[in-house]
Amino acid sequence: MIVKTETQPYIDAFRSGPRAGEPEPIAAQREAALARFGALGFPTRRQEAWRFTNLRALERRSFPPSVGGAAPASAVEALRLAGPAHRLVLVNGRFAPELSDTSALPRGAWIKSTAQTLAERPSLPVLDAGDSEGAQPFAALNAAFFTDGVVIALEPGVALERPVEIIHLGRAEAPASLHLRSRIELAPGSRARVIESFAGAGPYWTNAVLGIELGAGAALDHVALQDESGEAIHLALARLRLDAGARYDGFSLTLGGALSRRDVQVELAGEGARLGLNGAYLLRGEQEATIATVVDHAAPGCTTRELFKGVVGDRAHGVFQGSIAVRPQAQKTDAHQLNKNLLLSRRATVDTKPALEILADDVKCSHGATVGDLDESALFYLRARGIGEGEARRMLIEAFAADALDTVEGEAFRPRLAAHLQAWLGLRESWES
Amino acid sequence: MLEIKNLHARIADGREILKGIDLAVASGEVHAIMGPNGSGKSTLAGVLSGRPGYEVTEGAVVYRGRDLLALGPDERAREGVFLAFQYPVEIPGVNNMYFLRAALNAVRRARGEPELDAGQFLKAVRAKLKLLEIGDDLLQRAVNVGFSGGEKKRNEIFQMAMLEPRLAILDETDSGLDIDALRVVAGGINKLRAPDRAMVLITHYQRLLDYIEPDRVHVLSGGRIVKSGDKTLAAELEKHGYAAFEAA
Repeated sequence: MIVKTETQPYIDAFRSGPRAGEPEPIAAQREAALARFGALGFPTRRQEAWRFTNLRALERRSFPPSVGGAAPASAVEALRLAGPAHRLVLVNGRFAPELSDTSALPRGAWIKSTAQTLAERPSLPVLDAGDSEGAQPFAALNAAFFTDGVVIALEPGVALERPVEIIHLGRAEAPASLHLRSRIELAPGSRARVIESFAGAGPYWTNAVLGIELGAGAALDHVALQDESGEAIHLALARLRLDAGARYDGFSLTLGGALSRRDVQVELAGEGARLGLNGAYLLRGEQEATIATVVDHAAPGCTTRELFKGVVGDRAHGVFQGSIAVRPQAQKTDAHQLNKNLLLSRRATVDTKPALEILADDVKCSHGATVGDLDESALFYLRARGIGEGEARRMLIEAFAADALDTVEGEAFRPRLAAHLQAWLGLRESWES
Repeated sequence: MLEIKNLHARIADGREILKGIDLAVASGEVHAIMGPNGSGKSTLAGVLSGRPGYEVTEGAVVYRGRDLLALGPDERAREGVFLAFQYPVEIPGVNNMYFLRAALNAVRRARGEPELDAGQFLKAVRAKLKLLEIGDDLLQRAVNVGFSGGEKKRNEIFQMAMLEPRLAILDETDSGLDIDALRVVAGGINKLRAPDRAMVLITHYQRLLDYIEPDRVHVLSGGRIVKSGDKTLAAELEKHGYAAFEAA
């Protein structure tokens, strides 16, 4: 078998790592996934899906799997929601029960760490078929190495009143990789709200894979807040499947990390499923971030609303690659995709590639992308009223990002996101160097 | 309060628009600057407020003993200069109240006054709304977004009332207003006349002066002030048109 050289350190780490005591199917799956990773190698720019993403930060050194770690409660405090929540904290890819609280779970709700789930309820699949399909080498690497994650499974008709908050903390002195494997399975008619936050300190690599399965009429509001350390690498892949009449509203806020990529792949498998896919990325310094979404309208009468807004300053590089495919049977599809970007400096760059592939004839679809500067006349208007230039710029940037943020339903998550956005805006480094 | 001396300015394409303006406005006075299209009215407002896109090539503007042209637009505003825009800018996503509070507190900080908290600010807003006899329907919307022409101009005068400038420059505040809106806006301006405040009304038409009585009227033509007089000059203009005053 041919093994790509850049994968060798990871394969060596796997061979030397402790893997005792796991049930045989899992161990076999890990072996198979590792072999796949070795054969695939890192993605290259020759692959369309990775054409614009600069992976240099990941390629120039290797990130051995983290051996664990601890975090003080104060590190969690700053990330918590204001109200009551089912809270799960993972530190360096391992569940930290002392920082977590899932004591108030209602009947019919399973919310546990992935490791606990594998031990106590192995029938819940945490590795899915997708791991052996497509060119997703990092998902394969994740399948080989994953230490932990979160599994949420709701029985039919169960509605979680409190939101679930999942806090991932990375803490590393030297390069280390955290492989998180999570799953959300909502049975027909069940409902949940989930916020995942990623933060930390040091040069770690978060490699997260999340599978989401929504049964008929199930509904999930999902927020992903990426505010990783400035040295961190963050790769997250979410795969979703929606049955008839299910609803998913996702919002991702990308602020941190030296290199960040979020892949969201959605199959609208049942009639009348509704998808909201929104987010914002705000980049400065030499940050590199990609949002890559793939939406497959495989059933009739489904809707997609997708809006991503980018604010890119300094020498940062933002990428949006979004594709929506409408299959021949997916009549009455209603899909709209929009990516808008604000460039704050002459050396900031954005690559945006929205794409629609329509094979049905009775559909309503649109897509578009814009890249622009701050509105000079608006800036002058604010300044003419006494508002200093820096504050005026902040107000306009915040306003630009706000309409994406406004897609987040309810009051549980929005203040958390707004606080992180404010903190970003408050960092008065040169956005325009 | 304001002294403009031999002001020359050109626009980005190099054309000289202002060709030697001289004007002195004292505290408490209201001056009207009238002129036909292309005479340099908006350029003058732009230069005084620090709008980008103009280059002053000669002359000086002294405001309360300071070189006004050396200040950025926000500094001018904090020093008490207010421009009522001919075309107020729509700013989606920025709430009108949030904007106004940020502006007022910036101005108050510069004056050495304490910032207003949300409650105090609301109280001040209510008082000014009452003074100007305008409703509060504009407050919860984004700045000027979806406002009618009249609403935009009312909003400008409301901002002026809140910020309490020492020098207000009103650029074509009467344009695009029907007679009822004009009456409301002019009434607001009259209420804001004060001994320690100067106003410069820039207008094409005489009709604004039916409601606001100026102390001085100046005719601007070809980038220069070609005639100055008292309020009767406005009536003369109305009768004879600008042609009689065209710069040679």
